[in-house]
Amino acid sequence: MLYEIKNLVKNYDGRNILDISCSLQRGKITGLLGPNGAGKTTLLEVLAFLMQPTSGDILFKGSRVDFAKADLTDMRKKVVLLHQKPILFSTTVYSNVEFPLRIRNVKKSERQGIADQLLAMVGMEKFSRAKANKLSGGETQRVAIAQALACSPEVILMDEPTSSIDIENRVIIEAIIQEINRTRGISVIFTTHDRGQAARLADNIVYLNEGRLADSLNENIFSGSIERDKENNKFFITHHGIKIPVRTEKTGFVRISIDPAEIKLGQETDDFSSGCTFKGKVIQLTDEQKYIRVLIDIGISLSVTLERDIYLRNPPGIGGTVFLDLPPEKIEIF
Amino acid sequence: MNFFLDSFKSALQLIWSLDQDLLVIISVSLKVSLFSTLFSSLIGVPLGLAISMGEFRAKRFLITILNTLLALPTVVIGLFVYSFISRRGFLGPIGLLYTTKAMIIGQIILIVPIVTTLTLSAVSRIDNRYRKTAMTLGANSLQTALVIVREGRFAILASVITAFGRVIAEVGISMMLGGNAKGFTRTMTTAMALEFDKGEFTMSVALGMILLFIAFFVNVVFHYLQGKTGE
Repeated sequence: MLYEIKNLVKNYDGRNILDISCSLQRGKITGLLGPNGAGKTTLLEVLAFLMQPTSGDILFKGSRVDFAKADLTDMRKKVVLLHQKPILFSTTVYSNVEFPLRIRNVKKSERQGIADQLLAMVGMEKFSRAKANKLSGGETQRVAIAQALACSPEVILMDEPTSSIDIENRVIIEAIIQEINRTRGISVIFTTHDRGQAARLADNIVYLNEGRLADSLNENIFSGSIERDKENNKFFITHHGIKIPVRTEKTGFVRISIDPAEIKLGQETDDFSSGCTFKGKVIQLTDEQKYIRVLIDIGISLSVTLERDIYLRNPPGIGGTVFLDLPPEKIEIF
Repeated sequence: MNFFLDSFKSALQLIWSLDQDLLVIISVSLKVSLFSTLFSSLIGVPLGLAISMGEFRAKRFLITILNTLLALPTVVIGLFVYSFISRRGFLGPIGLLYTTKAMIIGQIILIVPIVTTLTLSAVSRIDNRYRKTAMTLGANSLQTALVIVREGRFAILASVITAFGRVIAEVGISMMLGGNAKGFTRTMTTAMALEFDKGEFTMSVALGMILLFIAFFVNVVFHYLQGKTGE
């Protein structure tokens, strides 16, 4: 096991921004998936030994990490963190990639070869003599990856590696992530809030929500109010005026979450048992390996996940009309 | 007005003729100020870095003390150092009183807080990602500090220049610890004060002009470096 995290808590201003226990496997690509504020970046900084947790333990390759120890440099040499918006030192691109080699006392004659090879790997060899702080976001990200690889790390932690770059660089960086894992055996742990990216890249996905592990992420979250009709049936009414039947004792302003796997899709002729059927139009389809994610407009956008086999039996196309069933008992109200 | 213009004209002639007395005064001033700035930088820059990067309980208190020391009057420093190096003082036998060394010691006490607080402030403004990046790439504390110094080099240099500007223009310490001995410890500011007392304005005005020129030059360098920091 690469990391074993036991009752790890990070408290900030009296609030637990991280409170988890989990294990992360060696040699794999692990995706930490969660919305903004889920504690993903905090977890990465703790895993990079840059931030001391308030309590709890971390075992790195079976050894307990002693954060109270003044110098964790030796441990940090095995793990490197790439920030969401990496910053390069205000020297040349080459000097930046050479820096980790220099501080590891690698001979000057060897440094040149390694740095050139790494820059070629990320497609930045032409920029070797360029000033690092003049590069674009995507180029900076690629140089930062070469810089990280120069450390010959066992683990690379990446915080939202493609969040602030264009699609061309995103494709390049995703390919680099897979390559460094396959060819160099480096364990990669990256954060993202993009399910598609997590599904494309990760061998394992860890869901984080409000600093805690989650089985999956709450999706299809809407806010609105609970109201009754003349027959005393309760409805959740969104701000857009969409009425969804619910079963609850709550009244007034609430938020609801509908699990995308619990929504059934079908045709008009299908017999839906719940009686809570909506007509909608397919506006987006995403292949998430095991699942196909279908985004349906019913006045609000609802995300539905279908197992690949089920989807292929009767595949709805973009723009196609579908009927979906929202059983009231499957709607979580909070 | 005529009086001022006459003094101004005579002062220009004095500078133009490279008057020997004037040159000695300027060289003493520059020597004392440069040495005190150098030693203060060697103390203040690492101290500012250590306080900025360190996490310890008394950090805020220490910063408050340093800020208070910024307002330390030169005569108080003069008196303080005098009490140690005067014949009756603890360090009296060394014979430092009325030497340029004594002036340098006093000036170091004056500007160490300036260099330290300005370095601290410069380092605090540097993007924290530089520190984290250096650390995650495997740099130890010293290597990380060197990265910070390199990234903040212009701002740190600006703090050193500010300190130099402070000592080149101070008079209290030089007068009390140097004694204003002609050819030995007479600086531009102490000479100006003496010549003024004597009613000899030509030398005073000449020295004032040179001091202003140095201040102008220092400011030009300072603004150039500030511009570099913002790039």
